[in-house]
Amino acid sequence: MFVDARTLPQRFTVDVDICIVGAGAAGITLARDLSGGKRKIAVFESGNFDFDAETQQLYAGQVAGQAYTPLDRDRLRYLGGTSNHWEGSCRQFDALDLADWPIGVDALAPFYPRAHEICQLGPYTFDPQDWSVDEARPLPLGAGASLKNGVFQYSPPTRFGTVYRNDLASAAGLTVYLNANLVQIETNDAASSVSGLEIACLNGKRGRVRARCYVLAAGGIENVRLLLNANRVQKSGLGNGFDLVGRYFMDHAFVPLAATIVGQAASPEMRFYNQHAVRGQIIEGYFCASDEVRRKEQLPPFAIGIRPAGNAVDAAMGNVKLPRALRNLMSDDFANHLTYYLPRWLGRIEAPATWLNEKLWRSAPGTYNTVYSCGPAPDRQSRVTLNDNVDALGLRETRLDWRLPADFERSMQRAHELLAQELGRTGFGRLRIESSATTGYDPIKDLSEGHHHMGTTRMHNDPHQGVVDADCRVHGIGNLFVAGSSVFTSYACDDPTLTIVALALRLSAHLTSALS
Amino acid sequence: MPYTRRFVLAGLGGVTGLPLMLRLSPGLAAERSVGLSAATLRSLIADPLRARILGCSYRAQFPAEDHPGVLTGLIGSSLGLGDAGAAALNRDALLCVLDARVRAEFGAGDIVRADGWVLARTEARLCALCE
Repeated sequence: MFVDARTLPQRFTVDVDICIVGAGAAGITLARDLSGGKRKIAVFESGNFDFDAETQQLYAGQVAGQAYTPLDRDRLRYLGGTSNHWEGSCRQFDALDLADWPIGVDALAPFYPRAHEICQLGPYTFDPQDWSVDEARPLPLGAGASLKNGVFQYSPPTRFGTVYRNDLASAAGLTVYLNANLVQIETNDAASSVSGLEIACLNGKRGRVRARCYVLAAGGIENVRLLLNANRVQKSGLGNGFDLVGRYFMDHAFVPLAATIVGQAASPEMRFYNQHAVRGQIIEGYFCASDEVRRKEQLPPFAIGIRPAGNAVDAAMGNVKLPRALRNLMSDDFANHLTYYLPRWLGRIEAPATWLNEKLWRSAPGTYNTVYSCGPAPDRQSRVTLNDNVDALGLRETRLDWRLPADFERSMQRAHELLAQELGRTGFGRLRIESSATTGYDPIKDLSEGHHHMGTTRMHNDPHQGVVDADCRVHGIGNLFVAGSSVFTSYACDDPTLTIVALALRLSAHLTSALS
Repeated sequence: MPYTRRFVLAGLGGVTGLPLMLRLSPGLAAERSVGLSAATLRSLIADPLRARILGCSYRAQFPAEDHPGVLTGLIGSSLGLGDAGAAALNRDALLCVLDARVRAEFGAGDIVRADGWVLARTEARLCALCE
C-alpha cells in the first residue's frame, strides 16, 4: 500500500524487516521481489506519484570538471525515479564487461531473464543474427575481424512507477511511504551496524525507521550523498573509511558525429545499426571491438551506431526520438520534460536549417554519420563529493566532478579506424574521421553524457578498493546494502538499467536467504 | 568545412569501393593489355581533381614517396605483378587485382589517413599520383 508520510503523526516510527530507500528501477524491483511473504517491507521514496518542483529541488547540486547536465534536471525525484525519462536501451553485460568485478557473468545469468521481462523487452536474445531481416541485417564481419556486431533491445520504455504501481499498492506486507526523505543513518558506536533511519518530510513531519536490514537504492549520486551526510560516528561518512564513497564516478561519453561514412545507398546493412523494428521489437545494432582487440589494444568498451547523414532532426533532439519527446511533453510531467529537452534543442537550433539545405542540395546517396559511445575506464579522481550548500532538509548538497581519460579522443579515433577497416575489407565503403585538424569540425565539442551515474559505491571484495562487497553489502556494516548502478565496478558501453534490475533481483535473493 | 566535406563526398559520391572511383579512360579498350605506368594508373581514377586533395595529404605524410616513379613502383610491387605480369593484364583484370589488394590491406590494417579519410595504402598512393 501507499502512505503519504506527510500525513503521519509527528515522530512516527516504522518497524519492518527490510527498509528500502528509493523507488526507482532498483528499489521497485527489490520491493516487488521481496514482498508477498511474511516479511514486512517498507520503501521510503522522497517524491510523490508525480513530479513536484519543491521535491525536485532537493536534487540541486554543483557540477565541476567535464560539462554535465545540471543535477536537478538529470534525475527525477518521484515514484519510478529516473526511469520516468529513461529512453529504454538494454543490453546484458558479458564476461569481458565483468572482468574487473568480483562476480562473473554466471552470477548475473540467473537473473537476466527475469530482468528482461521486468523491462518489457522482446524475445530473450541479443544475438545479431536472430534480429537479421532482409530490410536490415548486420554487416558480415567474419571470424578474425577486429569488430563484432551487437544488439540493443529497447524497452517501451518501462516507467517503473507507472507500470508497477498496482503491484506495489497490492503487495502483501509492503508499504511505500511517499514524500519521505532519508536525512540521517544512525549506527552503533562502532559504525558496524545501522540502528535506524531518520526520515523527514518537507512539511516538517519527522519519524524513525527500524529494520533488520537496510538498502540504499537512491541512485548513483544520491546514495553517495546519503552516506557522506551520515557522519555522526564515522566523520568521513558512513562506509567511507578508505575514502572511496563517491569516487570512480562513471558515465558513458556520447559523441554524435564522430565520423562520416560513404557507402551503399539505402543499405540494409547500415539500417541495422540505427533504431528499427523487427517483429514489433525496437532494436539497434552496433559495432564493438572483438574481445581479442579489446584486450590487445586496451580499448574501452565502445559501441558505434550509424545514422543516415542529414538526419538533422534526430541530431537536434540529441538522439531523442521526436514521437517520444512529444509524448513526454504532453504528459503531466510537462515542466520537467521541457527542462530536459529544451537545452538539447536550443543547442542545435541551426540543425533544421542544415537539414533543409541538405535536402535541397541533395546529399550524395549513401552517406552516414556514426554515433559513438563508450564506457571509459574507472578514474579515482572522477567523483561525487559534498558542497557547502544545505538543502531544505538540512542535508549538504552534492558536487559532481566527472573526468574523462586523456586518451579519450585517441581511443575514439582508433575505434573508427577499426570500423573503417571492416567497411573497406567488406567493400562497403569509406569512413572519414572528423577532427578539427583535418575536417575543421571537432566532434568532442558535442560530447555529452549518457545520464548514467555509476561506480560511486563500487563493488570489490577488498574494502581498500570498493565500498560494497560481492553481495552489495557495505564493507564493515553488517546490515546495510546498496542497490543500483553505484555498485558497478566498471562499465560497458550501454545503458545500465537492465543490469541494475538484474543486480536488484540478485540482492533480493541474497536478502531472502540471509534473513531466513 | 561543410562545403569542403560535401566537395570531397561528391568526389567519392556513391563510392562503395575502389572500383567505382575508377573509370574506363577514352582510348583504353577493356580487352587491351595495360602496363603499369603512372599515366595508366592515373587514368583509372574517375575524378583526379578530388583525389588530388587526398593525394596531397598522403604525400605530405610520406615525403619519401613524393615522386610518380616511386609511387608507381610501390603500387606495382604491392600488387605483386612485375613488369611481365602487369603487361599481361587488361584493364578489368587490373581493377580486380587492385580491388583485392585494397581489401587485403584493410583486412591487415595497412591503412593511412588522408584528410581524415581512412584509406588502404594502395588507394592512397593512387590518389597521390594525382598532382
